[in-house]
Amino acid sequence: MKKMSTLFALLVAFSLVLAACGSGGAAVQDEFSALAEFEGLKLDAGSCDYGGKVLSIEAVDELTVVFTLCKPDPAFEAKIAFTPFGIQPQEHLARTGGTGELLENPIGTGPYQVAEWDRGNQIVYTRFDDYWGEAGSASTVTLRWLTEGAARLQELQAGTADYVSNLSPSDYATVQNDPNLQILYHQNPNVFYIGFTNTASPYDNVDVRRAIALGIDYQRIVDNFYPDGSEVASHFTPCAIPNGCEGESWYEFDAEAGRALLAEAGYPDGFTTRLYYRDVFRVYLPEPARVATEIQAQLQENLGITVEVVPMESGEFIAASTSGELTDGMHLLGWGADYPHVTNFMDFHFGANNPQFGNAHAEIYGPLQEASSIADVATAAPLYAEANNMVKELVPLIPVAHGAAAHAALASLQGAYYPPFGAPQFNYLNNGTDSLVFVQNAEPISLDCADETDGESLTACQQVVETLLEYGKDSGATFPELATACVSNADSTVWTCTLRDGVKFHDGSDFDADDVVASWARGLDASNPYHVGNTGSFDYYGYLWDSFMNVPAE
Amino acid sequence: MTTNVEAVANAPSDSLRSRSLAALTWRRLFQQRNAIVGMAILLFLTLVAIFAPLIAPYDPVQSLLGIETLKEREAPCIHVLGCPEDKPQHIMGIDANYRDVFSRIIYGTRVSLFIGFSTIGMAVVVGAIIGAVSGYIGGWVDNVIMRLMDVVLAFPSFLLAIAIITVIGRGLQNALYAIAIVNIPVFARLVRASVLSIKEQEFVSASRALGASAFRLLFVRIFPNALPTLVVQATLSIASAILEAAALSFLGLGAQPPTPEWGTMLGSERNQVFTAPHLVFFPGLAIMLTVLAFNLLGDGVRDAMDPRLAQVAKK
Repeated sequence: MKKMSTLFALLVAFSLVLAACGSGGAAVQDEFSALAEFEGLKLDAGSCDYGGKVLSIEAVDELTVVFTLCKPDPAFEAKIAFTPFGIQPQEHLARTGGTGELLENPIGTGPYQVAEWDRGNQIVYTRFDDYWGEAGSASTVTLRWLTEGAARLQELQAGTADYVSNLSPSDYATVQNDPNLQILYHQNPNVFYIGFTNTASPYDNVDVRRAIALGIDYQRIVDNFYPDGSEVASHFTPCAIPNGCEGESWYEFDAEAGRALLAEAGYPDGFTTRLYYRDVFRVYLPEPARVATEIQAQLQENLGITVEVVPMESGEFIAASTSGELTDGMHLLGWGADYPHVTNFMDFHFGANNPQFGNAHAEIYGPLQEASSIADVATAAPLYAEANNMVKELVPLIPVAHGAAAHAALASLQGAYYPPFGAPQFNYLNNGTDSLVFVQNAEPISLDCADETDGESLTACQQVVETLLEYGKDSGATFPELATACVSNADSTVWTCTLRDGVKFHDGSDFDADDVVASWARGLDASNPYHVGNTGSFDYYGYLWDSFMNVPAE
Repeated sequence: MTTNVEAVANAPSDSLRSRSLAALTWRRLFQQRNAIVGMAILLFLTLVAIFAPLIAPYDPVQSLLGIETLKEREAPCIHVLGCPEDKPQHIMGIDANYRDVFSRIIYGTRVSLFIGFSTIGMAVVVGAIIGAVSGYIGGWVDNVIMRLMDVVLAFPSFLLAIAIITVIGRGLQNALYAIAIVNIPVFARLVRASVLSIKEQEFVSASRALGASAFRLLFVRIFPNALPTLVVQATLSIASAILEAAALSFLGLGAQPPTPEWGTMLGSERNQVFTAPHLVFFPGLAIMLTVLAFNLLGDGVRDAMDPRLAQVAKK
């Protein structure tokens, strides 16, 4: 009886406490309910047997996403800051089916939203007034494109553009001498190279490849066909990238040694071949036709090799060269850093599955595979030295130059800059008026940048769609963007990203962890219903994370 | 015996007529100032093409990097116009690959003349045969051949040339084929029209009555009489062929680097029209002069062979 009365007293007391707590108690209850109700999306490969780096991505609560990797990735933060990994609302992805409207009208969280894309003419952006960060000063930004460098500069000189990208080297002096203009140097690490596909004669003979490497006067090319600040490539990866320059330097120009080696290889009088290129401005190759003609002349003069230069349409050239189809000649191509890590240069080009240079060399990709899971720069250095030495030994390609580039803006444009990685954010540019005009060198292919690789598309997307982290204005260091922080466990296989609270998409919906998982799942999971995009190739998801999940068996 | 009779009957009159026609044409040609100017320019260009290695001071494809101190796309340096004597003379300047523009222009003459004569040569031979056969045989053969020619003529010639190059591939040789192909219908129709009118004339009937074979009738009796119009058209077509080849090269479909072809030179430096105008001015001038020469000559030959003009001259 005494026990019963004690129990009754406790119940009464507990009831009184609950009553006293009132609404506070209700709030606690709501929060508990919410936690209990949140069932975040999860992308799960099940195992690492599929060959990719990502095991799972899970929204553990509204503002927390956990990336679980199959093996440590020292470049994880640098990679997720890259524009193709931008976040869009899962509802928008579902509504568009991952293609169609999505290609021209991305919904993001960025400072500007797409108002209109007048194909062949311009893209007009309007300022997003609910932007969480620094709002742009111009309420309207127009992105236009002109393929000719001279035409872009004329726009700037006429005052009809505020900012033009990719100055022609011959226009540097003009901009420098014009008090109304400012020149903006661009420090993006890049490399221009001559590629071989080693599956056909004569390029299946390593001595032929070495002879060509010896027979090219690199300094002459850089001195005469590149702008100031460019340099001869001592290694494939620029030295600005940690571990890029480990190992022996590239061959010095020695025409006599080249001729001797060519004779040993059975070609004392040279041979006839082709040199393929695309006539498109790139920082690593600002004047392709001139450089192609110069290499043609050098090979004839130094090694007796008769070269037919063959310009190709850009898309056709990229498809043919990167799939190893240009077996009857060499090809001129290059690479600009997507993110500041040596894997971005080495692993992509010399990976076991890259057909561009013919049969891949285990002597090169072996050490690269081992190094790719080592986070410590010093520990990985000997492996990169080994890989670089084997590149020199086997010559799958010839690194020629690291190009410098410059852009130009009106002197009155405040905040004008060009970051080493990515493109300038329009919201940091202020011309003192309500509209801004930015001119680049080509039209974007689409604005679904999860499925695009060209810089022109990425520049256009970057204004609209944001990533978890972002690159600095003057370095490749990463800073919080949609995530306030991404921290890893001890062996860098589990990354927990805490998301920014209160962020809104352009369609008014709230940003949360499910949007992150949905956006990543669309790119990474080949069986995802929205894995459609423009071409469906989702290149950066495939190669930066080694493989897609759930690839259908052929 | 029949053949001998025929030969005896016709040979003197043919010979006499062709001699007098040629002499008359030449005489009329030299009476026209435009034609003389055209011939003079053409003679000059021909001499330049023949003696290019003697005239050009440098190899047209050799980069002068490391040989001279140069700047890319350097403006012309002519000593008599004030260029320092210690600087090597480049009277048309230096191109983007550090080559002497004058030497390239000189060697370009060879390429352009070769393009003009070879493409129209091909077109004349093929077109004339097609036209002659079509006109002589007539009937459904004529119908089929002429409708085919109509189809080809229905396309703008330059677009058709581009389409052909798209199929057979870029390069100077393929550009020559493309230009020749698009010119074939012009000559085919021209020869057919002549054959249709000439084959009904009495001297052809006489030859046929004397037992001449179809081949002989067509190519010995009829075809020579169609030649004057063919020559006029060919002379005029050479100019347009040179222009078409230059345009194809300008677009990167014709001659490929480092061939010193004027259209290629223009195309590769088209963006430098304000910063290095000499790189587009001189190739443009060369194209203009050559085309002008052939046009003037073509007009002159046409006027000289026009019988109405001959009547005017007699009066």
